[in-house]
Amino acid sequence: MTDHPSEDLAAYAIGALDRAERAAVDAHLPTCAACRADLEALGDVAWSLAESASLDPPARTRGRLLDGVRSSRSREEPPLVALWRALTRPVPIAIPVALAVAVAFALVGLREARTDADAYARAVAGVADGRVVALAPTSDGTARGALVVPSSGSPYLILQLPAAPAGKTWEAWVIRGERPLAAGITGERSGLVTLVLSQALVPGDVVAVTLEEAGGVAVPRGQPVLLGKT
Amino acid sequence: MALVARIAAQDARALGELYDAYGRVVFGVGFRIAGSPEAAEEVAQDVFQAVWRQARSYRAERGSVRTWLLAIARNAAIDWGRTHGRRSNREYSLDAAPGLVAEVQVEERVIASLRAERIRVAVRMLPTEQRDVVALAFWGGLSQTEIAARAGIPLGTVKSRIRLGMEKLRERLGPGGEE
Ligand SMILES: [Zn+2]
Repeated sequence: MTDHPSEDLAAYAIGALDRAERAAVDAHLPTCAACRADLEALGDVAWSLAESASLDPPARTRGRLLDGVRSSRSREEPPLVALWRALTRPVPIAIPVALAVAVAFALVGLREARTDADAYARAVAGVADGRVVALAPTSDGTARGALVVPSSGSPYLILQLPAAPAGKTWEAWVIRGERPLAAGITGERSGLVTLVLSQALVPGDVVAVTLEEAGGVAVPRGQPVLLGKT
Repeated sequence: MALVARIAAQDARALGELYDAYGRVVFGVGFRIAGSPEAAEEVAQDVFQAVWRQARSYRAERGSVRTWLLAIARNAAIDWGRTHGRRSNREYSLDAAPGLVAEVQVEERVIASLRAERIRVAVRMLPTEQRDVVALAFWGGLSQTEIAARAGIPLGTVKSRIRLGMEKLRERLGPGGEE
C-alpha cells in the first residue's frame, strides 16, 4: 500500500495517461480510499473545466434524443431480442384445446411431476370458452403453460412453473413487433398459477414468460422459458 | 431511486432529467473538442444514448455520475474528431470563451455563467506552460507522451506541468478556494 500512484492522478483525471499507466491506477484505486478521494477532488477540477465551456444545445436536441431512445427501447437488448426473433418463428399458432392438453401431457417427463401435470391438464381442459394457445417451452425445463383468450374478458395464462428462486419472479410478456411489454408477475406463487395478462392482445403478439428480479422489471433480462404466438 | 438507476431501468424521463442537468456541459465539451455546433449535437446524442445503454454498468463506488458522464463525453467527442479528421488542425486553448452566447438570463443561468467565469479566471492565472499542457490533454485528447513528442519537451516536464496546473486549479476551485 506504500506504492500510491499519487503523481499520476491529475493526469488520470483529465485522461492524459498512457494505457499502461492508466491500467496501474485502475488496479490501485479499488484498494485505496486515499487515492480515490484524491481522484474525486481532481475529477471535480476536470468537471469544472468542462463546465466552463457550457453551451446551450439547440432546443431540438432533447426531443430527438428522447424520441430516439423511446423508439429503440427494445433494440437496447440485442441478445435477448435476437433470441426472441429466432424463437418466435417455429412456435405454434392457435391450437385446439385437445392438442394443448396433449402437449401438456407430452411435457411430463418425470413421474413426480405427474400430479402437477394432471392438475395443469385439468385446468387447461376445463377452459369453458375461448381459444387456447399452448406456450412452447424453450428448453427442457419443467415449465409449461397455455394462453387462454376468452371470447369475452381478459386473456390469461395457465402456468405450471417451478418455484422461482429467492429474489426472483416469473414475469409474463406480450411482445409486439420487437417490443416486450410487461404483462404481469407470479410473485411468490408457484405450482399451478393463473395469471391475467395486464396487456390487451392484438393479432400477431407473442406471449412469453421469463425469470426476472422480484417485483418485476420493465425490460426483460431473462431468457424466455415459454413462448407462444397469438 | 437514483437517477442513473432509473435510466438503467430504461426510464426515458430520467434520461431527460439527466439531460436537463448536464446537457449544456456535454454539448459544450462536444463543441470545444469536435469544433462545430453540428458536431457537438451529434456528440451530445451519442453521449446520452451511450448513457442510456450503459447506465447499468455505472458503479457509484468508482466515482461520481459527473466524472462518469464526462469520461463518456470526452471519449465521444475525441472519437468524433478522429473519425472526421478534425484533430490535427485544431488549436486547443483553455481560456477561449465559447463563441455562442446564451440569450436566456434566468437566475440559474446567471449563476452558471458566474461560475464559468470564475473557472476561466482560475485557468487564466495558471502559467502558460501549465495551461497549455492541461488544454492539450483535456480538450485535445492527447496523452502526456503525445504532448511531449508534439511539443518537443521531456515527458517528465509534461507530467510535472500537468500535476502542478491541476493542483493549482484544485486549490482555487475547491471548497476552500477563493470565491
Ligand atoms: Zn493509494
